[in-house]
Amino acid sequence: MEIKDLISIEYPNLTLFFPELIVLITGFVLFTLDIISKRISHALAIGVSITGYLIALLYILLNFELKGETFYSLYVRDQFSSLLQVFMILLTILLLAFTHQYQKFKKSTYSEFYYILAFSLFGAMILSSSYNLLLIYIALEAVSVSFYIMTALQKGDFNSKEGAFKYLILGGLSIALASYGAVFLYLYGGSMDLRQILHTDASEKKLLILGLILFLFGFAIKIGVVPFHFWLPDAYQGAPTPITAYMASVGKIAFFAPVLRVMPLVQESFHQTWVLTLSVLAVITFLYGNITALVQKDVKRMLAYSSIAHSGFILAGIAVAETIGLKAVIYFLLAYSLMGMLSFLVLAVLERDGRWENRIEEFSGLRYSQPFLASVFAVSLFSLLGVPPTVGFLVKALVFMSLSFEALWWVAILMIGGVGISTGYYLRLVVLMFMKEKEKDLTLNLTGFEKLSMAIMTLSLIVLGILPMILWNYISPISEMLFGR
Amino acid sequence: MDWASFPFIPLSMILPVLGILLIVFLEERHSKWIALSSSGLTFLLSLVSLFYFDFSNSDKVQFYHELLLIKELNLKLSLGVDGLSYLMYILTTLTSFVAICWSVRDHQINHRLKEYYAWFLLSETALIGVFTSWDLLVFYVFYELTLIPMFFVIGIWGYKLRLYSAYKFFIYIFISSLFFLLGIVSLSVHHYKQFGKFSFSYFDLLQNQYDLAFGIFLFLLFFIAFAVKTPIVPFHTWLPDAHGEAPTAGSVVLAAILLKMGTYALLRFNIGLFQKEAVFLMPFLVLWGIVTIVFASWFTISQSNIKRFVAYSSISHMGFVVAGMFLLNKEGLRASIIEMFAHGLTSASLFMMAGFIYNRLHSFNMHALRGSIRFMPVFAFLVGITAFSSMGLPGGSSFWGKFLTIMGAKEYTLQLALLVIAGAFFSVLYMLYLMKTLYLDTKEEGRLVHFLDLRGFKLLAFLLVVFPMLLVGLFPFLFFSFFDAYINTLLTQLVKVVGGIPWR
Repeated sequence: MEIKDLISIEYPNLTLFFPELIVLITGFVLFTLDIISKRISHALAIGVSITGYLIALLYILLNFELKGETFYSLYVRDQFSSLLQVFMILLTILLLAFTHQYQKFKKSTYSEFYYILAFSLFGAMILSSSYNLLLIYIALEAVSVSFYIMTALQKGDFNSKEGAFKYLILGGLSIALASYGAVFLYLYGGSMDLRQILHTDASEKKLLILGLILFLFGFAIKIGVVPFHFWLPDAYQGAPTPITAYMASVGKIAFFAPVLRVMPLVQESFHQTWVLTLSVLAVITFLYGNITALVQKDVKRMLAYSSIAHSGFILAGIAVAETIGLKAVIYFLLAYSLMGMLSFLVLAVLERDGRWENRIEEFSGLRYSQPFLASVFAVSLFSLLGVPPTVGFLVKALVFMSLSFEALWWVAILMIGGVGISTGYYLRLVVLMFMKEKEKDLTLNLTGFEKLSMAIMTLSLIVLGILPMILWNYISPISEMLFGR
Repeated sequence: MDWASFPFIPLSMILPVLGILLIVFLEERHSKWIALSSSGLTFLLSLVSLFYFDFSNSDKVQFYHELLLIKELNLKLSLGVDGLSYLMYILTTLTSFVAICWSVRDHQINHRLKEYYAWFLLSETALIGVFTSWDLLVFYVFYELTLIPMFFVIGIWGYKLRLYSAYKFFIYIFISSLFFLLGIVSLSVHHYKQFGKFSFSYFDLLQNQYDLAFGIFLFLLFFIAFAVKTPIVPFHTWLPDAHGEAPTAGSVVLAAILLKMGTYALLRFNIGLFQKEAVFLMPFLVLWGIVTIVFASWFTISQSNIKRFVAYSSISHMGFVVAGMFLLNKEGLRASIIEMFAHGLTSASLFMMAGFIYNRLHSFNMHALRGSIRFMPVFAFLVGITAFSSMGLPGGSSFWGKFLTIMGAKEYTLQLALLVIAGAFFSVLYMLYLMKTLYLDTKEEGRLVHFLDLRGFKLLAFLLVVFPMLLVGLFPFLFFSFFDAYINTLLTQLVKVVGGIPWR
């Protein structure tokens, strides 16, 4: 045996890794620019970021069917990762419309924001394209650390610090749990690759179960599943609002991605147990999120709880990742990332008015002073509530469909109850905006880019609800690929 | 050109949407005329389509068009009409036009005109979608879409309690229809388990087979939604608030068409899809319908607000529709469908009456209204026709609904027929009470002498509902021809599936 065969050096296939590479390079360019020039101008930073992201986006779109593994199969590119990455990059670009104005009006400039954003996007992209425990762990750290920093960016704001600190501690716990779980999984399967681990035929299942539980609990903290959600409302409220929007959309996709990759495999081995455990968690999360959101006075916090509730709904879909369930979940995830980002961005714009405090009464008569923002917000709220013809309705219908597949009637009925509760707070905002008299005058001017970005998101909420085949045709083969049926 | 394949239905859904776009982009002073012309054109289009509808085959779906939405789930936007939905379609285009005609000269509607007319046009599109969709999920989409325009119309242009009523309206109907959604997707999944493919199409789902217990579970999931929408008595409490607080045109659309969505869906889905279960639960549901008639009539008489009075009277009429429908024989079904149409006309007219008097007197209080229409002869005449039609005098439009329900009930037992007659008695009672208050009670003449009579657009709106009302009353067979073939097919299916009705 020659030494060459033992080591067997594989040259990385960079055609697969190209989008991530571009995003990484963008991050480094921004970093260098920030160091070289004392104060990087926003226009330049945004320009560089958008150029980089657009190249990556175009590359993925042009090579959507690209499939393969590289870096000793640490890294996997398939349609699933491509689709999620398209959404992540697209949402980040749409988000960049708002960052400059927000920082200007908050009178706090932080140029580190742009490269941290790029690095977190890089982490999120990796997270969506790996089966390997080690790489998942590293990507998870990359995303999380960026999120801790971004949450704390609002210097001098107490809430921001509190949120970041809570996030840091519970995030650390989550990563500890996940890595501990990974160790058990390795002990069981003798491999770091989740596919191999779950297809190992070892008799000692205890290690596998323990490992999976710890691993998924780690992710449950990140996703914000009750009872592991305590960091989420504080972090979401404390973070600068565009970052909250980013965490609620790109962050959600990134943290759900590995769970979605593993779940079909897990399902095969422990069908009934997982269905039951996840449905219970889903129902608790959904009900708790909605009930708590109902009593919030602060709209940002309310939307944070609504984000928890939606995690619950997605979890219910994952619980029955049967033929239709997984597709429903992917659709739901992408749809929620749009709705979540849009609703938080409306707050980000409103916060530019110095006196705005996100109190719920402040929305009175918003229609008179800001008709565009009010209509955009109303569409996103109706979508979060799940009123047709918005996409929010369609994805809820699909999750109900998967629930009835497993005859989980009790879950479905409790979910209906939860939606009923959520009517209370979403509708209250719509009523305040459109049916009450004006409370205060707001002097806000949206830039063209911001209007465009919001209009794109609003329209896609409606179009994806009316013409679902646009997205469905991409999702359908993915689920077959992940699940084999 | 083959006119039967002309896209009447899609076109009549697109026209109001075009109207909305024009309203959004043009100045506010044009809004009302754009709305008027686009809903008028839609109405004309529906009248033209009358010439091409094949009445002898009204059990078949005609004017059918479809568009595939999700291939894997067989989710299609399939639009078409059979006799039943065609009648409802005509009612929709007619009443939407009437509502907009009324709003053009309504003093209450003086702010945010753009939004107002856009919502009405959107509700017209959605309602046409409801009555012509053959795909259950798409039906649900339109069914829920009708909520949003009415929610805003009640909440923005309504009277004092408008916010409370808007909330109540939305929450009641939204939550109840989630059960319906669960029912739809379960049906589709059941279809998948039996036939290996998903489908939401009405015709595919007809082939599903269930055991009775599961069937009744699904029946109830559907029934909850429609019982709230129709409404049947314990679930009716949203209705008086919504109808009482909505602006006149909003009440017209709510009472004339939105309630029909509930009864239409009961007939189409609960009887059409769940024939075994419908027969099993029939006696219970007929009695429930009669209870609704009686209770709603009592509630009606005790009202002091004329709009709430009319709203409660709608509930009692819906009682007739439900009772007639679940009699499951030819007379009962005929009664129920013709009553749906007739009630659409009479309730529209009565709500316009309330709105008109409010414009003159600025009060809805029954006491303040005494003798108020004595000096407006044209108005008094038209309201008189409406009131007699509504109470079910022979020659009036509701007569056929009530008469045929009684006939249908008598086919089972005489006692049942007597119960229906008792219900009909109360409904005559409250209508007579209304007429006495409006016509006969005296009050100092005072301002009454100076009241202007109906004219212009409001007169047109009244004539548009009163004329068909007379038509229904005097020539009911014109309307029976819409749905007789449909009823015959339904009854043959019923006999085939269930082997006749055991309680006969």
